Amino acid sequence: MKVRLLILGCWFLSIVATGQVLRIAFDAADLKTLDPHYAAATMDRAVVDMVFNGLVRYKPGDITVIEPDLALSWEVSEDGLIWTFYLRPGVSVHPFPGMPDGYELTSEDVVFSLIKAADPQRSAYAGEYTGMKFEAVDKYTVKIVLPQPISSALFLPKVANYSGGFIVPKRAYEELGPRFATNPVGTGPFRFKEYSPAQKVVLVRNEHYFRGTPKLEGVEIWYMPDVTARLSALLTGEVHVIEGVREQAWVEAVKRYPQVIVDVFGPGETEVLHINMTKRPFTDLRVRQAVAYAIDRNELVTAIGPDVAEPLCAAVPPYLPGGLTCAEVAERGLLYDVDLAKARELLAEAGYPEGFEISAYITERASYRKPFENIQAQLARVGIKLNITVVDHSSFHSLIRQDANPLVHYEAWRPSADAFLTRFYHSASRVVVGTKPDTNFSHVTDIDGLIEAARYELDTEKQIALWKEAQIKLLEEMASYPLYILKFVFCRSKSVDYGYELKSSLALYPSINELTTLK
Amino acid sequence: MSRFWKSRRIRAFIRNRTAIVGLVLAVFMVCVAIFAPFLAPYDPFVQNVHKALAPPGREHFFGTDDFGRDVFSRVIYGARISVLVGVSSVAVGTALGAMVGLAAGYFGGWFETIFMRLVDVLMSFPALLMGLMFLAILGPGLDKLIFAIGLVLAPQVARLAHSTTVALREMDYIAAAKASGAGPFRILFRHVLPNIGGEILVMATLWTATAIRVEANLSFIGLGVSPPTPTWGNMIREGVRWLVVTPWVSVFPGLAILVAVLAFNMLGDGIRDALDPRLYC
Amino acid sequence: MARYVIRRILVAFPTLLAVYTLVFLFIRVAPGDPAVAALGDYASAEAVQALRERMGLNTPLWVQYGATLLGYVRGDLGRSLITNISIGSQIAAVLPHTLELTFAGVLIGTIFGIPLGIIAAVHRNRLADYLSRVFSLAGISIPAFYLGILLILAFAVKLRWFPVMGAGDFSNPVENLRHLALPALALGIIMIAFVARMTRSCFLNVLREDYIRTARAKGLSERGVILLHSLRNALIPIAAVLGTQTALLIGDSVMTEIVFSRPGMGKLIVQAMLQRDYIALQSLIVVYASLVVVINLLTDLSYGVIDPRIRYE
Repeated sequence: MKVRLLILGCWFLSIVATGQVLRIAFDAADLKTLDPHYAAATMDRAVVDMVFNGLVRYKPGDITVIEPDLALSWEVSEDGLIWTFYLRPGVSVHPFPGMPDGYELTSEDVVFSLIKAADPQRSAYAGEYTGMKFEAVDKYTVKIVLPQPISSALFLPKVANYSGGFIVPKRAYEELGPRFATNPVGTGPFRFKEYSPAQKVVLVRNEHYFRGTPKLEGVEIWYMPDVTARLSALLTGEVHVIEGVREQAWVEAVKRYPQVIVDVFGPGETEVLHINMTKRPFTDLRVRQAVAYAIDRNELVTAIGPDVAEPLCAAVPPYLPGGLTCAEVAERGLLYDVDLAKARELLAEAGYPEGFEISAYITERASYRKPFENIQAQLARVGIKLNITVVDHSSFHSLIRQDANPLVHYEAWRPSADAFLTRFYHSASRVVVGTKPDTNFSHVTDIDGLIEAARYELDTEKQIALWKEAQIKLLEEMASYPLYILKFVFCRSKSVDYGYELKSSLALYPSINELTTLK
Repeated sequence: MSRFWKSRRIRAFIRNRTAIVGLVLAVFMVCVAIFAPFLAPYDPFVQNVHKALAPPGREHFFGTDDFGRDVFSRVIYGARISVLVGVSSVAVGTALGAMVGLAAGYFGGWFETIFMRLVDVLMSFPALLMGLMFLAILGPGLDKLIFAIGLVLAPQVARLAHSTTVALREMDYIAAAKASGAGPFRILFRHVLPNIGGEILVMATLWTATAIRVEANLSFIGLGVSPPTPTWGNMIREGVRWLVVTPWVSVFPGLAILVAVLAFNMLGDGIRDALDPRLYC
Repeated sequence: MARYVIRRILVAFPTLLAVYTLVFLFIRVAPGDPAVAALGDYASAEAVQALRERMGLNTPLWVQYGATLLGYVRGDLGRSLITNISIGSQIAAVLPHTLELTFAGVLIGTIFGIPLGIIAAVHRNRLADYLSRVFSLAGISIPAFYLGILLILAFAVKLRWFPVMGAGDFSNPVENLRHLALPALALGIIMIAFVARMTRSCFLNVLREDYIRTARAKGLSERGVILLHSLRNALIPIAAVLGTQTALLIGDSVMTEIVFSRPGMGKLIVQAMLQRDYIALQSLIVVYASLVVVINLLTDLSYGVIDPRIRYE
């Protein structure tokens, strides 16, 4: 009898325990890397977000507010060159092979991590930290010296819980070496337990988390590339949160299930059509303007759905400081409202009364391919025949970086106006020919001055004015046609409470933290 | 070829009801493909986002897809590419495979060793991956897709052609032909090919069905025919995302594949039954 | 027989070397770059270049070729370029699931396919024949991913009999089988189709043979004729088909693995291809090809079990 009770008790306990493991399924076949200084894809950012911390952090659910994370407070010198961060004492690093009890995170780790983030050999985000010096003043104080002063709006994101700002503990990284990419060790609410390739990552709660022990026992991250399988698993309760389809028809259909809550949240990625100004016939401004007049961004927004997509009228989205709203663009008469007659007229002036034919590659990913297919149909209305070749995502990125496309559809999120403008429109960033080739697919060369002036402008108002001026110039020369902002769609079962109000998330998924519960 | 098309076999074929149904269906598919522009009620390329995902009804028999395009018209146009891919990739694969297999089986020696070893090597690759690799190297495009699927099928044809040629090699009448001074091409074409042509024809009809499915699978991974050209494969792939929401987008092209595969398989079975079945299986 | 097995294994090595060489060349000729795939869309060209260097992609091709081959000789399959995980341990983790699924699919195919084929052959050109053939053709014609999704919607979401995703632990046989049921069925239905077709035509052949006619003339019952005489003679070609199909299933079960979120070889292979993970792809294909060799050998050996008259030289 006793034994039986014991068994029953164990069974009951195990039910309760598994009931508190939250399972989240992503639209991916596998992870790529869990080294936070490389992680870029949604499913990787999610794990990194749960395992690591930054010096400061975006408030969960609302990226417009910055609050303390590993640093309790910070200050900046009068000349704007020296930033000093005062660390939270008693933060423990997750246990890892070699140190089964973990250790206390100190300034030594922070300096190590920032140096790693700034090293192009060990970080994909090194460009963000060029010329900076990092130094440990004492156990809990870190000093960062900048080569040139920049505004706090530009600086703090570099040390926040995003990309290079995540703090990697020194001893764990040195101990694990290359294994770190699939065995991440940090200070966050959940710690890494195991990874099954092409299937899942298992995290368990960090009992010593400095904000308190997480309410969930653990989190499992599942890789499930088929959306019907994800939705089915959500409906049967096998998973609790899934990445959805970023299209309204799907969102509305799923909302009909009573046990499911659909979250559509920001900040959203910008979808922009970059026009290659070095490829004929787009060398002619009139042809580029004809393309702009031929495209109806509202039709795209209708196709995707107004709750999920909102019109984007300039290079930098309006939710970032320095972004332009559609109203501001309209005021300056640069909206390029759809006007097929005008488009044909411009084409005729440029010597293409019958239109012309071009070919471009696109990735098989639906969020790129679908709008491109719609643009193809729209351009056909003014006689521009766009031949599309679909390739896999990795080939697509290689090809567009080799300047293969006259038109590049690109989906992106960047943390600041400076990052958007530098990486897409600075002459150094031109694909192939730039000094630091990046994603300047349009081959813009004439706004370097504005971008650099804005970067080192400490007066916020002047800085914003410079950024806006740069975007106006881009619209005047029609280097790229901004299409829309695509928000994120995640679904969860009613039993999941994230523990905060979800408006926007930089981790590109609804952040799961110590407050999240599962009923 | 006279040996192969003896009228007894034609009569046997006609008596076989399955075969006739298969033939009629296959001819029907080919006709739909050829006359698609006259059969489709709508332009399969015209998008109307305001009519997206409309259910089947009087206006749109099979409903509309997520761009508001008519699914019925796209299924009809889809026949063009799917049947084209099915038939021509098998033609490519059969021609290539038969050539290698025949020559290897007939000549023997190091030529046989090298080529049949290569066939073994290629056959130990998963078919889908082989398609992926050929596509990656050849680059995207309908012609390349056909070629890639053809290359996937070729080793299987080669093995079949090889083994039957080897079996025939020692036969008396081949030896007699050789003794009478016939050149290798003459012997291969006049004596060997007619004897294995039947089998290859049977396999080809069956593989047409396989090729249509491979196209669908490659489309599922996203590497099929480029948009906006409809194929049943890429329609299903698109539609699968909407399966729970609006099933018609993928069910109708799925049924089309089913009918096409059935047709070509029944045709192949019919030919097989009409011929002397001793050599197969 | 031992000599036969040893000879077959020795002959396999040049084949495997050729497989490795082909993959090595193919994937490097194909456009795409593992460094770009690993770093994702946000990486700068500088970071990509640094990673290429670290991945060893800037060393001469023959060095890369030789280094991997040397690893194989030592029994080391290398580490994934993208995740840096040991490929050997990765394969060890998924192989049991792959073999389990393949075996279950073949089993379902055999159990249902052979009777279905026999029924069709015996009742040739009658209703039972047509029904069995249409059923098996339907099985072949549905794309695997579509069939999988339909099974999920019916048996997991609607009826709640089986789970949607994942593979059960081997330590818990009940859970393991519950997770296996639907994916095995999805593969099995395709397998039934192949086996039934083959059984039908093989039986038609055998039923025409003289000794069967003699047996019938001697007055043996129809059932006796089928079981005693036909089965053994028809089994060899069926075994051959099962062998090739099993080998193909391992690679082509990728659709099933994706839809049912199961770990498996097929998924790893396609993922390595799409990510341009050179090292992982090479090793996975070599291991896969070795499996094909083993399965082919087992198939050939099974002939001897079916018909003891067959000798191996």
